[in-house]
Amino acid sequence: MPGDIILKMENITKRFPGVLANDHINFDLKEKEVHALVGENGAGKSTLMKILYGLYHPDEGTIYIKIDGELKPVKFKNPQDAIRHGIGMVHQHFMLVYGLTTIENIILGYEPSSVIDFDTARKNIEKIMTESGLHVPLDVDVEVLSVGQQQRVEILKVLYRNAKILILDEPTAVLTPQETEELFTIINRLKEQGHSIIFISHKLHEVMEIADRISVMRKGRLVHTMPKSEATKEKIAELMVGHPVLLDVPRPDVTPGDVILEVKDLTVESDTKGVMAVNNVSFHIKAGEIYGIAGVEGNGQAELIEAIYGLRHPKKGQVIIKGEDITGKPTHIIRKKGVSHIPGDRHKFGVFLPFTLADNSILGHHREEKFARYGIFRRFSNISKWAMEIIKKFDVRTPSEKVPMSALSGGNQQKFVVGREISFDHDLMIAAHPTRGVDIGAMEFIYRQLFEEKKQNKAILLVSADLDELLLLSDRIGVMFKGKIIKELDNTNRQVTPKEVGYYMLGGDLESHNGGDTVGGEQIA
Amino acid sequence: MWHTLWFILRSTIISSAPIGYAALGGVFNERSGVANIALEGILLVSSFGYVAGAFFGHSAWWGLFWGIMAGLLLSLIHAVATVTFKINHIVSGVALNTIAIGVTRMLSLVMFGQETQSKTNSYTQIFGINIQWLVALMLFLVIAPLSYWLLFKTSLGLRLRAVGENPEAADSLGINVEKMRYTGILLGGIVTSLGGIALYPTIWQSGISGGRGFIGLASMILGNWMPIRSVLASTIFGFADALRLLDFVQAYIPNEFLTALPYVLVLIVLAGFIGKARPPRADGVPYIRGE
Repeated sequence: MPGDIILKMENITKRFPGVLANDHINFDLKEKEVHALVGENGAGKSTLMKILYGLYHPDEGTIYIKIDGELKPVKFKNPQDAIRHGIGMVHQHFMLVYGLTTIENIILGYEPSSVIDFDTARKNIEKIMTESGLHVPLDVDVEVLSVGQQQRVEILKVLYRNAKILILDEPTAVLTPQETEELFTIINRLKEQGHSIIFISHKLHEVMEIADRISVMRKGRLVHTMPKSEATKEKIAELMVGHPVLLDVPRPDVTPGDVILEVKDLTVESDTKGVMAVNNVSFHIKAGEIYGIAGVEGNGQAELIEAIYGLRHPKKGQVIIKGEDITGKPTHIIRKKGVSHIPGDRHKFGVFLPFTLADNSILGHHREEKFARYGIFRRFSNISKWAMEIIKKFDVRTPSEKVPMSALSGGNQQKFVVGREISFDHDLMIAAHPTRGVDIGAMEFIYRQLFEEKKQNKAILLVSADLDELLLLSDRIGVMFKGKIIKELDNTNRQVTPKEVGYYMLGGDLESHNGGDTVGGEQIA
Repeated sequence: MWHTLWFILRSTIISSAPIGYAALGGVFNERSGVANIALEGILLVSSFGYVAGAFFGHSAWWGLFWGIMAGLLLSLIHAVATVTFKINHIVSGVALNTIAIGVTRMLSLVMFGQETQSKTNSYTQIFGINIQWLVALMLFLVIAPLSYWLLFKTSLGLRLRAVGENPEAADSLGINVEKMRYTGILLGGIVTSLGGIALYPTIWQSGISGGRGFIGLASMILGNWMPIRSVLASTIFGFADALRLLDFVQAYIPNEFLTALPYVLVLIVLAGFIGKARPPRADGVPYIRGE
């Protein structure tokens, strides 16, 4: 049971040029408590936590920490100050040094002495591992550890520095459902041992599962703090966005038509020579159907898409679109055959940040007569008109089509890319992580657009790391593991559970395993 | 027979020293994330610093002092340029190599009355031992093992390596990235200066470094950025260098070929090896906070 308040942030205000990132925020944390902090991107969660961790200095307000049984005001000049007061942070993007071993990573910056006594360090770490249940091999390069194990190293780092207060920044974003469950077991164990945890997330069902109290931030303000007993998913979502959100977008009822995409025995080599990223994969998608590909990232999803879209030459097999074999054809030909693509990494593949929205709006179709006379001389008025149509239709918030793409927020950039790809003539839509890094409002919007596509009888290939998204949108789900689709699940009536998918994401009955520990884990140790 | 073997061993050690020290200097630089092709220039200025310091100070100790100071000064410029002002590491290195050539020639003209070489320096003994031989031996017996210990057994070394692999992560743990990189560059500068001192303590000539700084970088790559392995790698090139001093080799093989041998070896070795080596991940990448 949570005890006394051990941390209090009072009237914290932080201004950045033109933005009020934190507006008089009051936040507190009790002993043995999990306090979830939720909010959309840009709501100010990160800023608040960076202030708590000493990375930013507040313009106004005070932080109090319980020292010797009493709340005392403290000022953190840098993370060391925060660490010294028992605050530890597990960053969303791991702060691990590849090339160093696990033990070196754990002690880095907090070495027991200037000539390192590795034996003592090891003993201390092993003690922490036994107490917390976080086990990882200590003498390997952290690079070879699985994502779940790397996260454990991050938590061990924090515990090794004697942190009482743990800030976990979107810790489940990279985990499978099984790994998430294990993380929750560990969080509960840490709680019992007297730690307090600030849990940052936007996955509402996880927040509902693990938190004792929930605080919601919106546009730099902390709008509400409530105990879990008073919270519902819908209530939190509404507080986050500021208006009611239909998280459960209804799925249109469409009878699948002809086969649009057929993939036959596709095998694709990875960047490492001789290793097949995609191994003998076959599946098909019909018109009006959404086919989801699930899997832990790095199991061949990216290569599969690249091979279909012509960015990578398959080793063998066929890609057939509307009965025509397009295997190995260049991308611009494939686009002409009616394929649109929402890339997973929009900055790398989707947009040119310094170019205007108008220029970005015709990418891949810039040679067409509509946009360029004789394929050479650009027709500026047509391009502008085209860009404006996308902007209007897809609710992209921008002053005009003449501003550079970099001026837009991530969510608006993504809406623009989605809008562009939908606007071009196509029969097959390849959508990779279509809502990555966008907030709930934009997410809902993109879901609706994809369903709209379905209604228009387009075939949609959806790859996503977000299981909820896959289950919500897909009619069928293929689970990829080590380059193969090891299971195809029928989700026509949304009957598939996350656990079921998670089971196959970890190899299913292909691999003997006990819980979520198998991914890369014990084989290495 | 024994005499010849001893001669080969001794020449190999002496010829390897400047290369090995430069390799070690490279290890300190690049392990902290700084690419430093100015090692060549550091060899040149420290060699000049030694000769001039000993000549005018009438003591090998003054030579040692000014040799190291000269190398440190050049390193410091590299540190300020690359770490403080985030300038491209290669550009800074090219500039420093050019500066090193010009400055030594100018100083030589001012101090010794001619641009291309110094006067002969007769202060080459420390404790009654020839300094070239002493410094060369020290590399293998003391400096290389010490460097290994420093990089892998101390917190300073751990932090230095962390900064070279992932400065952002190191920063998040409260490690001062800039300070660590300065440390790497300056330690590397001191070590490389010892190489310059071991080059030729008797006389300085323009161009005396002869690309050994670059061969040092090749040794470093061959040694996979490990201190002891890098120094051992330098003996391959040092041996090739020593060969041409032998009478019977000179009798059979044209001198031009022998002189080219170390450089040819570099090409062969690197061509066959470079894919297997793994440089520090942040090598040569300026660190700008908050990106």
